[in-house]
Amino acid sequence: MNYQGDRTTGFASPAGDNIEGTIDLMSAALDLRQPSRYPVRVEGDALLGRSIRHGDILVVDSAVAPRAGVVVVASVGDELRVCELTQRAGEWWLRSSSPQASPVQVDDDTDVAIWAVATGLVRTDV
Amino acid sequence: MRVYGLIDGNSFYCSCQRAFEPRLKRRPVVVLSNNDGCAIARTREAKALGVKMGDAWHIARKRPESQPVVWYSSNYALYADMSRRMYQVLAERLPAVEPYSIDEMFLDLSDLPGDLHERCRQIRQDVAEHAKIPTCIGWGPTKTIAKLANGLAKDHAELDGLCDLTDPAVRQDWYRHTSIDEVWGIGRQTKQKLLGAGIETIADFVTLDAKTVRQMLTVVGARVQAELRGQSCLPLSDIAATRKSIASTRTFGRLLLKWEEIREAVAHYANRAAEKLREDGLEAAHLSVLMQTNPHNGDPWYAKHAAVTIEPTSDARDLIRHATALGRAIWLPGYRYFKAGVILSDLRPTGSQGLMFAFRDPVQSATVMAALDAVNARFGSGTLRPGSTGLKRTWSPRQSLLSARYTTRLEEIVTARSW
Repeated sequence: MNYQGDRTTGFASPAGDNIEGTIDLMSAALDLRQPSRYPVRVEGDALLGRSIRHGDILVVDSAVAPRAGVVVVASVGDELRVCELTQRAGEWWLRSSSPQASPVQVDDDTDVAIWAVATGLVRTDV
Repeated sequence: MRVYGLIDGNSFYCSCQRAFEPRLKRRPVVVLSNNDGCAIARTREAKALGVKMGDAWHIARKRPESQPVVWYSSNYALYADMSRRMYQVLAERLPAVEPYSIDEMFLDLSDLPGDLHERCRQIRQDVAEHAKIPTCIGWGPTKTIAKLANGLAKDHAELDGLCDLTDPAVRQDWYRHTSIDEVWGIGRQTKQKLLGAGIETIADFVTLDAKTVRQMLTVVGARVQAELRGQSCLPLSDIAATRKSIASTRTFGRLLLKWEEIREAVAHYANRAAEKLREDGLEAAHLSVLMQTNPHNGDPWYAKHAAVTIEPTSDARDLIRHATALGRAIWLPGYRYFKAGVILSDLRPTGSQGLMFAFRDPVQSATVMAALDAVNARFGSGTLRPGSTGLKRTWSPRQSLLSARYTTRLEEIVTARSW
């Protein structure tokens, strides 16, 4: 059951020292046991341009440092939004996918805050 | 030098709710006890509106002042997962962490390089960032001092959530101004005794002769005094060692008269206790059942407790059979029952004792229980359960204000609108 290409009975496996195990897709970007990882369900198709669909599950990380261009979950007033993050003159802004909506500045005083940064995406409805 | 720390989550249950709901950020939040009975956690804003610990919900919610309050049923699945996150953040940063309660953890801060104050500030920030829980940290040469420091950090906003009591001079200063009942381990009775002897502040208490303290308050009080003097008597423990007993007791959602309904509840409690038992790889050789009427509503008082020694088992079916038989023996008609419970004790590792005349084939039993646990782990607790635990469950506690289990159930995770 536990044969990994190493413990042969006749000829010693030349790969004995190079066993790496199967790729663990979970641990890299999706592992929700990390204390800073949270799952978030996406509502709406506004981010189709970034291949994020309605019903997708984003895995977000609240300890990842924000960078310009990443997708974040942000709290704006009473609601949580999924959107793109941009930087202008050292300040963070949330950018809407719609050209009509103007960007919103991340600012504790106006109750706009980054909740977590998207690190992975799971689509169960393919 | 030995340094102990204590970190605790501010209004922990409320903070868990707030972590997932931005609308709660500045609003008063109160979490209610099991069965939506009374207030057990309040945010600062809720305290300011006069909501007290233990206030009954059905009365408090009608007061005009409490109109802005957002009330929640306790969501222990969520709180346990957030406590797990908090522990993990700490365990990755410190040599030893002891989870003392769901929202308090003792820390080993001994001999760490660099400035301790700065390190604690960083830890506090990391917990807030990763686990989304605001905290306070207090530290000093003993656990009792760390606990006191934590309380001071919480009560004095100017300390910015951090309180260092390692310096004896700083300690003395606080001791002079702090009442003896702020001390961990000083209960109401002890406090009365001390007040009777004219001892009000911690400074009064630590200057007492150790012999006098021992005579007055036994070794327990003497230990508290030694700890306050900076002599460590309580070492850091690991995660709680093997449990001594497992209890599953609850207040019913309403008063129950009929044995059929109580039987379902007792079977359910036995099933839950059996699950906890198997989680820890244990078997129980002793089982007891309790049942009682409400002591506060004027009903005639009836409370009964019965126990039996059983073949060591963790099989839900065996435990349910024993529990319902015992329950039937102590149930009397005519009373309105308020609460019941099942307690398992004399716990031992699974299979530690071979049975000569086993009631059940142990291999078959283990297979069935493993399948049951696997289904419930995958599809959620209670998906598959013994029929005796009921379908309608008319006795189950009220949780009318339950929030989603954001981190433990896929169908209940947070949603965010794409923008």
